[in-house]
Amino acid sequence: MKRRGLTGNYWFMRVASAFLVIFAVLVLNFILFRMMPGDPVSTIIDPGFSPEAKAELRKMYGLDLPLTAQFFKYARQMLTFNFGISFLTGRPVWNELASRIPNTVALLGTALLLSSLLGTWLGIKAALNRGRWLEKIVLWGGAISFSFPSFFIQLILLMCFAYLIPIFPLRGSVSIPPPTGFLPAMVDYARHMALPVFSLVLLGFGGWALYVRNLMVKVMSEDFVLMARAKGLPQRMIIWKHAFRTILPPVITVFLLALPGTVSGAIITETVFSLHGVGRFLLEAVSGHDYPAAGAAFFLLALLTIFSNLMADLAYGIADPRVRVEKRNNR
Amino acid sequence: MKHIVKTWIPALFLAVMLTLPVQTGSAAEFDPARLGPPHVEDLYMVIIRDPDAQVLALEKGDIDILGDIFRPSDVERLSKNPEIDLSLSMAFHGFFLGFNLREEPWSRLELRQAAWQSIPREELVRDIFSGYAAPLSTFLPPSSQYFEKDVLNYPYDPEKARTLLKEKGWTLSSNGHVIPPGSDTALEKMSILSPTAQVAPTTFELATRIAGYLENIGIPAQVEPMDFATMLSRLDNHNFDSYVLAWSMTRDPDSLYSFYHSSMDIKGGYNIPGIHNPSLDTVLENLRYSPDRESGEKYASLAQKELSRLVPVIPVYSRYSIGAVSRKWTNIVKSDVTTGDNIWTLIGTKPVDGKERSLYWCLPEEPRALNPFTASTAYDWQVLGLVYGSLISVDPYNLEDIPWLAESWEIKTSDDKERAKTILEFRLREDVKWHDGEPFTGKDVKATIEFLRDNRIPRYLDNVKDVEKILLPDKYTVRIYMKRTSFWYLHGIGGLPVFPEHIIKDVDNWQNWQPTSLRSPVNSKVTGLVGTGPYIFEEYRTGEYVKFRVNPWFVQTTPPRGDNQIR
Repeated sequence: MKRRGLTGNYWFMRVASAFLVIFAVLVLNFILFRMMPGDPVSTIIDPGFSPEAKAELRKMYGLDLPLTAQFFKYARQMLTFNFGISFLTGRPVWNELASRIPNTVALLGTALLLSSLLGTWLGIKAALNRGRWLEKIVLWGGAISFSFPSFFIQLILLMCFAYLIPIFPLRGSVSIPPPTGFLPAMVDYARHMALPVFSLVLLGFGGWALYVRNLMVKVMSEDFVLMARAKGLPQRMIIWKHAFRTILPPVITVFLLALPGTVSGAIITETVFSLHGVGRFLLEAVSGHDYPAAGAAFFLLALLTIFSNLMADLAYGIADPRVRVEKRNNR
Repeated sequence: MKHIVKTWIPALFLAVMLTLPVQTGSAAEFDPARLGPPHVEDLYMVIIRDPDAQVLALEKGDIDILGDIFRPSDVERLSKNPEIDLSLSMAFHGFFLGFNLREEPWSRLELRQAAWQSIPREELVRDIFSGYAAPLSTFLPPSSQYFEKDVLNYPYDPEKARTLLKEKGWTLSSNGHVIPPGSDTALEKMSILSPTAQVAPTTFELATRIAGYLENIGIPAQVEPMDFATMLSRLDNHNFDSYVLAWSMTRDPDSLYSFYHSSMDIKGGYNIPGIHNPSLDTVLENLRYSPDRESGEKYASLAQKELSRLVPVIPVYSRYSIGAVSRKWTNIVKSDVTTGDNIWTLIGTKPVDGKERSLYWCLPEEPRALNPFTASTAYDWQVLGLVYGSLISVDPYNLEDIPWLAESWEIKTSDDKERAKTILEFRLREDVKWHDGEPFTGKDVKATIEFLRDNRIPRYLDNVKDVEKILLPDKYTVRIYMKRTSFWYLHGIGGLPVFPEHIIKDVDNWQNWQPTSLRSPVNSKVTGLVGTGPYIFEEYRTGEYVKFRVNPWFVQTTPPRGDNQIR
């Protein structure tokens, strides 16, 4: 009973603190956007739009209501997941996000998965080949890919593979007119997403490779690896069962904490490849003072970040036996 | 030498472009009836955001028409491509340096006049825009029919600027900064509000250079870059010394009233400098409420002269509009006031080889709202402008009014003893049908104006708030009584998009109305976006493209010029 109580207490505290963070995000989202100078109406600078017309618009957006009334309306919308109507598009915020999330997740989710897999594999290879050409290539390649500005790489890729050697499309996620049938549509979609995903993998694998290589180099010099070698265990088992398993928790943590980023979008990539994604929507919502859209997007991102954090905690226990042992000892 | 070649070749190209004859005729020959009906069956507006990708798509043939090309490097690149036809026109853009006239020292006229003389506008245009812009010398762009050349001029002459200040009692401190008359301390650094270099690099560069030019005559100035919304908020709250800001104006000069009349010096008003001058106010009131065009011309000219004397802001430059069309298409309408990417081109163009195919027009941003009551961006109206028609249209060669849904019109002034009022009478075409096949009549015009006025829809409020009553003497005649007198009512009312009565009568919540996801009640093949324009809206694939098909009922006929009576 006592043991279960302690474990339950741990998760109760984690979940309670998550709710506290959600509440803080909810309040800050409201206050910060309204503290920003100007409002959605003040950004209209059109001599044909008189102060009287601006006042009507303010009324239409509900900005003439007292702040407390605006807050309760906003809190109700967030907590019921009915995010209201976007000031800028006049469409429900849910619909706006729902139309963008698939592209963004397909782009950034695939890119995150591929770059983390590629980077991890290269990082391990580099760590196992210290001082050799393979390590040098990974170190240099990683540093270069990590430090190049994304728009530069992407425009070069666009120029090379969509214009000079036109094997990929220049824009969007669908051909015009779109192909009919499920399979042709899927192939067409994959063809459109290939170049943006490739560009992000190219830009992203370096960071992973350097991170994993450093962790792996450190682990490979630990006593338990020496012991495993002394025991005559095969190299493959030493690497994957002992060394890699040890570096897995921080790698998982970084991976899970990168997950919310797959929904928040990539503004530059979306712009260069004309993709309909969340990144530009967020930017426009913030710069255009679209309170319902920006509030909803940041609220959802906060929820996702908190969820990822909880998942990281859970994954730590699964991946690292020491965490499980420590918990058992605590009980 | 390299610099000179780089700078002057585009300028030379510009001069050639402006003197080239237009492709399809001159102002006197323009007749929309010769263009239509549209020859293109399917039209796609393709969303491409990145300017580099837009140019590549045009060169590759993925799109046929590209408008609003603003980077000199793109113009130079496309001008070398024999497959691309570039067009360049004067635009209604104006970039100004403004001051806060409510406070010292910019409340002093001689300081503003000296500042004007310190700015080499020709050099700025040459260096920053490679010649693809015009130095601006007055308060309306040169493309405006009301542009007044004969105003007080302040050509670049820093020596004269220093002399002017000296004559007015300004002295110089030991550090070279000016000391106002009656004071013994030099001016402190004054800020020029500007958007940041990341958001608006050209504007920031201009602001930086202007600060340098002011320093050159002893006016200490520095750029204060900031987020654009913050900058607008500072301007709104009158918390600034000076600022740089670009405006997109209309063909009518009555916007001068919004910019410089003292009643507009309020929160949310556009009299940002805060100029209060009784004689200017009188001229601007006469301009705004001119009963006829002659009177409008007279007061527009007077207003510009007054403004050049009072210098509430300094005009700097006006950007050209540049558009490109693939040479695979012919019948492109372009002139020195209209680039090739326009509705007339879409109506008249056909493939050079005669093979029927779709036309692809670049849309540089996603349309935000395809609800005509809330649509606000230029991209929204790039789409909606093809769907909806208005009573009158604009001649692409000389910006004069031409018939569209109305075949003729009259402007009368009532003999009301208490207050003279404008009466607009439009005679409508009888052969127009809505996209869903319903006939277009005066009832639609009446319903549109009353809907916009009664719902106080912000976007249209200024156009319709002065409408007193609307009468329909017969099915195709609309008589509109305004509350006051103004010639500009013609454009305010005549330029409104007209909506079908049978659609808008069912619109309960205009703010959240989503016509693209509805169907016309009389024809299920058409969405709720029912207009009279040359193309029928078919599909918006979010973030990808907007598809149209040709309007089979679209017939554009125009009576001979001179039939339109204006008195």
